[in-house]
Amino acid sequence: MRPGMHPGGVRPIVTGSNQQMTSLFSNSVLNRIERMRLNPRRRLTNRARGEHLAGKGGSSTDFADYRDYAAGDDIRYVDWNIFARLRRPYIKQFLHEEELHVVLLIDASASMLFDDKLLRAAQLAAAFGIMGLLNTERVSVYVAHQESERPAMLPPGTGRMHMRPLLSFLEQASGGGAVPVEEAIETMLRFHRGRGIAVVLSDFLTFRDLSRSFNMLYSAGLEIWGLQILGPSELQPDVQGDVRFVDCETGASLDVTGADDLLNVYHAQRHALREVIDGQCRRRNGRFLSTDASEPLDRVLFDRLCRSGWVQR
Amino acid sequence: MTWPSFVFPFGAWFFLALVPLIVLYFLRLRRPRQVISSLVLWQAVIDDQRVNAPFQRFRRNLLLLLQVLILCLLVMALMQPFFSEELDSGEYVPVLIDCSASMAAVGQDEQTSRLDRAKDQVRALFGTTNIALFSFASTGKRLTEFTRDEHLLQQALDRIQPVSLPGRLDDVLRVTAAYARTHPIDRVIVFTDGNLAETSPVELPFTLDVRRVDVGGPNAGITEFNARRTGPEDWDVFVRVAGSGQELLETKVQLYLDGRLTAEDTAEVAVDESERFVFPIQAHRPVLLEVRLVPQSEDSLAADNVAWLSLPEARDLRVRVSPNLFSWQHALQVLPRIDMDAGEQSKRAAYDLMICDSADRQGSEAPVTVYTGVIPDDLRDLLTIEEDFAEVVDWDRTAPILSHVRLSQVSIGQQVILASGADEGDLEERGYEVLVHGATGPLLLQKRQGLNVSCYFLFHTDRSTLPYRVAFPVLVSNVVETALKRASLSEVSAAPTGVLPPVAVEPNREYTVRTPTGERFQVTSTATGLLTGIPAAAVGRYDMLDGDDVVASVGTGLLSAQETSLAAVEEIRFSELSVATQEAAEPRPGTEQPLWWILAALAFVFLLAEWWYFQRPREAVG
Repeated sequence: MRPGMHPGGVRPIVTGSNQQMTSLFSNSVLNRIERMRLNPRRRLTNRARGEHLAGKGGSSTDFADYRDYAAGDDIRYVDWNIFARLRRPYIKQFLHEEELHVVLLIDASASMLFDDKLLRAAQLAAAFGIMGLLNTERVSVYVAHQESERPAMLPPGTGRMHMRPLLSFLEQASGGGAVPVEEAIETMLRFHRGRGIAVVLSDFLTFRDLSRSFNMLYSAGLEIWGLQILGPSELQPDVQGDVRFVDCETGASLDVTGADDLLNVYHAQRHALREVIDGQCRRRNGRFLSTDASEPLDRVLFDRLCRSGWVQR
Repeated sequence: MTWPSFVFPFGAWFFLALVPLIVLYFLRLRRPRQVISSLVLWQAVIDDQRVNAPFQRFRRNLLLLLQVLILCLLVMALMQPFFSEELDSGEYVPVLIDCSASMAAVGQDEQTSRLDRAKDQVRALFGTTNIALFSFASTGKRLTEFTRDEHLLQQALDRIQPVSLPGRLDDVLRVTAAYARTHPIDRVIVFTDGNLAETSPVELPFTLDVRRVDVGGPNAGITEFNARRTGPEDWDVFVRVAGSGQELLETKVQLYLDGRLTAEDTAEVAVDESERFVFPIQAHRPVLLEVRLVPQSEDSLAADNVAWLSLPEARDLRVRVSPNLFSWQHALQVLPRIDMDAGEQSKRAAYDLMICDSADRQGSEAPVTVYTGVIPDDLRDLLTIEEDFAEVVDWDRTAPILSHVRLSQVSIGQQVILASGADEGDLEERGYEVLVHGATGPLLLQKRQGLNVSCYFLFHTDRSTLPYRVAFPVLVSNVVETALKRASLSEVSAAPTGVLPPVAVEPNREYTVRTPTGERFQVTSTATGLLTGIPAAAVGRYDMLDGDDVVASVGTGLLSAQETSLAAVEEIRFSELSVATQEAAEPRPGTEQPLWWILAALAFVFLLAEWWYFQRPREAVG
């Protein structure tokens, strides 16, 4: 097994203290995460009540507007004071508070076992989940690794009481399959119902086109947040001379002569891939961010994600 | 385009080493396996390289290609390629190589002769086109057919050795011209030292490319060696020594009589200068004279430093005169050293001179015969005699027997009439030469049969006023002088190389000839007791052996002022054009120089490039 590749899945990196809430990150990080909330671009929410104010009429206490009464309207929303003055019924509209559904999809294929990418995916997923739970959104988690298999799933939940199951689920997430990320997305959509945000944590190293799966996400009312996690072996590959590369997922091999001479092209291709996925996310009003698995977690959480507008403090 | 030739073409077999090289390369090419997260990016890199770099496949196996290139260069260097002359590969080129005596002249280093230089030049032509090798001295000789086989040509070239004969182009050019009828010959290349005649009667059906090889320093050589009889047993031996150097060359001249040093002198000669030496000797029996030059300094040519001369036995001229030819008898009686036989019957079977008034020779033979009042049997249909007055119209003043003879106003009582419709051309066709012309026909004819000469006075001299003229004793004296020369009783000249002079031996016997080089071959004497036509290409003494006994010895010498001079003609004039003789250029840089070292250097450069390419420090790529 290649150095840097964790055999099972998420590696517990923080241990030894009974006061630690999770092995994914420290309590201080957790405290800071709890004060943050997600910042979706659009208000794609569920009908159920939530903390997100919908643009359409709702049942919250915040007044929004008046409109003419129409047959069939609930007469409880008629403003009788206006009716008394004007002798015409007007419906009083309130801002609707709906739930935001946060779907966390972790690509746990074998490629994510390199350079602790799966651990970083679990850490970020936990952070996003905690933010969602503490802001009363419905958070569900899917971990996909084996092709044609039902992904490991944490059912939607909300509130602080779901934080412990979320963290446990992510701590026990394992990887090693060969499922491509686009297939993982489509599989996830077969089980998920609800609008909101779909955070896809993957290295996005797939031969296939992501357009179809992203379209399906978009059609399902999910704002696409693509978070690419690459390891040092992908960002700065240490290769030299003639090499036979072997794909850890498929076992396919590729002979490369003078690999060190091709690093410039390699990096160009990596940037091109990032641009393609970024474009596909943006075209669907989503977000995309590429991170280094070896980058400190707090820098990613509290610096890059904030500056990118993914989260709010 | 000129393709290079190869000195060692069999080195091409080493190209088979490419097979193990390629096999070993691919066997060795076991790439280290590296497991990575995904091939997505690297596959894109390879796809991008294949699209953007047309030579990606080449670059992938750059190491192999460099090794193949280096191996090919090394193998080609082993084959020793070289560029030769700009010959068309389909051309048929006869190459004529001068191997005359002067081609043996050596240079200052005394190792490289002109012939060696010429061979080097010829060797550079091998493999470029179809070549036929000819060698020539006084005659031409074809050594090979038209071929590209360098081995065959090299063998033929190695066989060429200089011979002690003067160089003449005529014969070999005629042979080459004959080949032009069967092969498309556009040009002929001649390698010579230019020591040739300035004119040639040959009509050239091709372009002649004469390349001159000038090597050699000063030279001194014997150009003349003869003797004149001054008394019954006394001879004056003349030796002429000529030189070719700008500086005076001192040399000793030694005369040996039957192998014994008899006289010695010293000569100092330079170019266009010669010295003539006279050595008086006495010889009452046949002797063999040898003259040697002993140069006191550098001498380029050794073949002209020795010459041989055979002096005959000292005796009187044996003359047979018909008993009725009183006028001839009276004229002969006053001449010295004449043994005249004027009896009714001849006493000897062989005379030196016979003067007859009839065709009947009475069984005797002589190399010189004068008939008077006799019409040859084979001319009786062309010539008739009438009793009429005749006069001499003209005569050949260059004929030896008519030298200083005035025949004008000689009255003749018999008239020779040429048959109607016949002319002198008919006489010449039958071997007769007209020496004296009359008004109605020839008056004196001469016929040569081998070494014998016959003169026919078609009128009887006693029927003319010739015996009463001053011209008659002069005429008789000329006849005697001719007979003396034929019998070698007055003057003797040394035999030059080529063919030995006839040697008198017993008739119809087989003899062995021993050459100066030690070779032996059999010859058979003629019915008249002569050994003739013996080739003598080398200077020295030739012995005629009967078993182990030496029955006669003849020596030869180069005796060619042209060869001794080592001079070169700038231009040879042929019947219709002149051909300049150009000094053969040194092997041209880039065209005739071997290319193996260039290929070896290229292989070394590629080796360095390969080492640099695969061992250069890697740059950090980010």
